[in-house]
Amino acid sequence: MDTVSRRRFLQLMGAGAAGAAATRLSIADIARAAITNPLPLNTPILVIVTMYGGNDGLNTLIPYNDSTYITNRPDIAYGVGEVLPLDDQLALNRSMSGMKTLWDQKKLAIVRGVGYPQPDHSHFRSMAIWQSASPVGAQSSGWIGRWLDGRKADPMLAINLGSVIPPLLTGAKRVGSALPLGGLVVPTGSLASECQLLAKPSIEDGPLQALAAGSMSDLFKLSSEISSELKKPAPKASDLPTIQGGNAGGNSNLAQQLDVVAKLIAAGAPTRVWSVSLGGFDTHADEKGAQSILIGNVSDSIARFLSQVRSTNRGKDVVVLAYSEFGRRVKGNASQGTDHGTSGPVFVMGEKILGGFYGDQPSLTQLNAGDLAVTTDFRDIYASLIEGMLTTPADKILGKWAGRTPLLKV
Amino acid sequence: MLRGGPLVEPSSDSDVVVNTDRLVISRLQHRLGFGPRPGEYAAALQTGVSKIREMALTPPITDAGLAKVAALPITDLGPYPAPRSAERRVFNSAMREMTNSLQLWALDRMVSADHGLTERMTWFWHGHWATAISKVEAPLPMYNYYATLNKFALGNFKEMARAMVVDGAVLYWLDGGQNTASAPNENLGRELMELFTLGVGNYTEDDVKSAAKALTGYKVVRSNGIVSFRAKDHYSDPINILGVTQNFDADSLAMFIASQRQCSRFLAERFWYRFISSSTPLPNKSKIPDAIAANLSISDGVRALAFDPGFSDVTNSQVKAPVEWFVSVCRALSLMPSVVSKHLPVLDILRAFSQIPFDPPSVGGWPADEAWLSTASAQLRITNAEKLAKLGDLTPISALAVRDRVQGSADWLGVPMWSTRTQSALEQVRSDPITLTILAITAPEYLVSA
Repeated sequence: MDTVSRRRFLQLMGAGAAGAAATRLSIADIARAAITNPLPLNTPILVIVTMYGGNDGLNTLIPYNDSTYITNRPDIAYGVGEVLPLDDQLALNRSMSGMKTLWDQKKLAIVRGVGYPQPDHSHFRSMAIWQSASPVGAQSSGWIGRWLDGRKADPMLAINLGSVIPPLLTGAKRVGSALPLGGLVVPTGSLASECQLLAKPSIEDGPLQALAAGSMSDLFKLSSEISSELKKPAPKASDLPTIQGGNAGGNSNLAQQLDVVAKLIAAGAPTRVWSVSLGGFDTHADEKGAQSILIGNVSDSIARFLSQVRSTNRGKDVVVLAYSEFGRRVKGNASQGTDHGTSGPVFVMGEKILGGFYGDQPSLTQLNAGDLAVTTDFRDIYASLIEGMLTTPADKILGKWAGRTPLLKV
Repeated sequence: MLRGGPLVEPSSDSDVVVNTDRLVISRLQHRLGFGPRPGEYAAALQTGVSKIREMALTPPITDAGLAKVAALPITDLGPYPAPRSAERRVFNSAMREMTNSLQLWALDRMVSADHGLTERMTWFWHGHWATAISKVEAPLPMYNYYATLNKFALGNFKEMARAMVVDGAVLYWLDGGQNTASAPNENLGRELMELFTLGVGNYTEDDVKSAAKALTGYKVVRSNGIVSFRAKDHYSDPINILGVTQNFDADSLAMFIASQRQCSRFLAERFWYRFISSSTPLPNKSKIPDAIAANLSISDGVRALAFDPGFSDVTNSQVKAPVEWFVSVCRALSLMPSVVSKHLPVLDILRAFSQIPFDPPSVGGWPADEAWLSTASAQLRITNAEKLAKLGDLTPISALAVRDRVQGSADWLGVPMWSTRTQSALEQVRSDPITLTILAITAPEYLVSA
C-alpha cells in the first residue's frame, strides 16, 4: 500500500491549483481598506469593460454613408436616418446616446480598426490574446496581472466584479481579486461561530482548500457597521433581452457592476484597476435588435457611471476602456447576423481623455478574406494606458513596444 | 475494523501515515459518480480498490435506482402565440413549468442512479456539447438533447458526434438551422472544431469555412427540435477539410472529424481537465488518447483515465461544482431533489450558485475549480447546508456513539481525511447531528478534492 505522510498528503491535496490563488473580497473588506488606507486623490483609476462574444464594430461605429456597408449586409444595416452621426462618414448606433454625449463633450476617444496581426476567430483564443496582450502566445499571464506582478502584494489593487477571475487579472505571481455582486447574507448565531471554526486557515490546506476556507472567513469579515454605507440598493439594471447568439460568456448586469464600482471609488477604495463585463455579443443570428440593445446598455451604463464618479472628487481620475475580442464579418450571413471577424473600434472615455478619432477606419472594399484590416494594434492603446494610468513603463508589461495612441491629456 | 482504515496510523517518525485506498476510492465515487450513499464508502473500503475500480467502470444493463425516476411528460408546445395574448401567458407558464420539471428530473437521475458513471458522464457531455435553454427555450429539444447525450455517454464518440451535429437543440443554439449555401453561418462549424472535437489550433480558418459549408441545408423546428434536410440550401460541391477534398454533409463531416487522431487527443485533454486536474496539462505519456483512438470508445477512454497514475495522484485536487456538491449531499442525506423542491426553491438556489442543468453560461460550458470558491458560494453553501441537513435523514451519523461520529462522518460522506482544523471543529459539535452534518458538508475537505 502506498503511504505518504499526513501533512504532505493534505498539502498535496490542494497543490494542483495555480500557485497564486485569487483572493475573494467582500464589499466590507474593500470598504475597510477605503477607510484605513484610502487611495490618494489624483491617483489614476482604470476601469476595463470587456464585451464578450465579439461586438459587431460596423453596427457600432457605422460607416453610414458608404454604399458598400448597406450592400454587404442589407438585412442588418442602418440607414442614414437611423444613426447618430459623428461626422459625414461615421456614426454611432442609435442606441448609443450616452456615448454620443461624451463624444460631444470631447471625453470619448474612438480608436478605429483595432486588432492584432493574424487575427484568430475563436472567441476563447482571441479573448486570451486581448487579455494577455500576447498575440503569439508568448505570455499566458494577463496584462494587468503582469502589472500586479511588479508591485507589492495587495489584494485591493485590481478587482473583478463577479466571482470568476478573468485571465486579464492573472499574473505569474499575483492574481487580482474577485468581488461577487449581490447581497451577502452572513449567517448569525451559534451556526456562525461554529462555521467560523472551519474558516480558520490550516497548515494542512493546499491552495484550493485554503481558498475554500478563505472564502468562508471573508464572509464572516463582513461587518454590517462598515458595509452599511454601501448597502444602499443599486439601481436596477434594465432587463436584457433574450439574445440570439448570446453563447460566448460574460455577465448580464453591467449597470449593476458599475454601480458598485462607482460607490467603492467614491468611498476611496485603494483600487487602481476595476474589471467588469457584459456578454451576449455573439450575434450570429437576428443581430440587429439584440446588438443595438447590448451596445446601448454599454453606452448608457458607462455614461451613467462617469456621471456618478464626476459627482465625487475622483471624477478627474477615472478612465474607462471598452473592448471586445473581435469585430464581425463585413458581409452578413443568411441568418440576419454576422460571423466572427477581425478588427473593431475601441472606446476610451473620461475627463483625462482627448476626445476624437484615432487610427484609420478600415476600408470596406480592401478586405482580407472577407475581413476588415487591422489599422491599430491594441497594444498601442495598452501602452499609452500603462504609462498614463498605471504609471509604469510599457515595456515592462508588453515587452519592447514602440506604438502609442496619444489619447490621454498630458 | 475496516480493511481500508483507519486512515491514520502512528508511524515511527512521529509523522502520520495515510492510507491512499481511502483517497482513490473516494475519487472513484465522487468523480466517476456523484458521491456515495450512506454506507457505500465504508463498504467499498472493505472490498478494496481494484474491485471497486472495476465495478465503478462497469454499469449494469438496467439501473434499478434510475428506473424509479418517473418518465417526464415533455411535449411539443408548438409555435409561440402572439405576444401579450392570453394564449401566450398560458404558453409561457406551461413552458416554465416544463423547464423546471426537466431540470429537477436531471438532478433526480443523478441522485437516483445506483451506478453513478452513466449519469456522471452525461453531465460531463452536457458541459462539453454545452447547449443552453436560455436561448433554445423549448423544453422538448433540450430533453431530447440530454437523452442523446445519455444514450452515447459511454458509447462510441463517432456515433455521438453524428447525432450531435444534427441535434435540434445544438443546431438551434449555434444557429445551424439558418446556415445555407448562399450565405453560410459559421457558428456551429467553428464550435464543432474548436470546442467539441479538435481543440483550438488544430484546424485553419479555411477549415472552419468549409465545415460551415458541409453543415448547410439543415432546418430545425424550434418547438420540438425536429431537423430536416433541404438539398437546395446545401452546398453540394466538393470542399477541402483538413487537407481532404470531397463532398461533405453533416454526417460525413462528423465521422471524418471524429476519426482524426487529434480528436482523440482533445477528448483525452477534456477528460483530464474535468476528472483529474484543471491546472496541469494532460501528460504526454498518458495512455488516455490511445485508449480512445483505438475504437473511439468513450468507455475505453474512461477506463484509461481511471487507471491513469494522475487519477490516484494526491496533488490532483478538484473542487465540486455546485451541482456536484448539491447532488452528493442529496445522496448522502437520502434526499430527492424533486421532493426537496416542495420545501426549498432548489432551482433558484442552484441559479444563485450560477450552475443549473440545461443552462450553461456559454458554449464553452461551466468553469472549474477556483471559480466556485467565492464568498458568495460560501454563503450559499452554509445557508443551504443548514436547510438540507434539517430535511435529510441523518441516522447514518445519529445512530453512532457520539465519540465515533467525527470519523463516522468522513466514512459516511466519502472524505479521505479531515484536517486537524475540521476535525476539531467537528469534535465540538458532534453531540448535535444536524450541526455536525452542516459543518461536514461545508468543510473544505468535502468541497475540495475527493
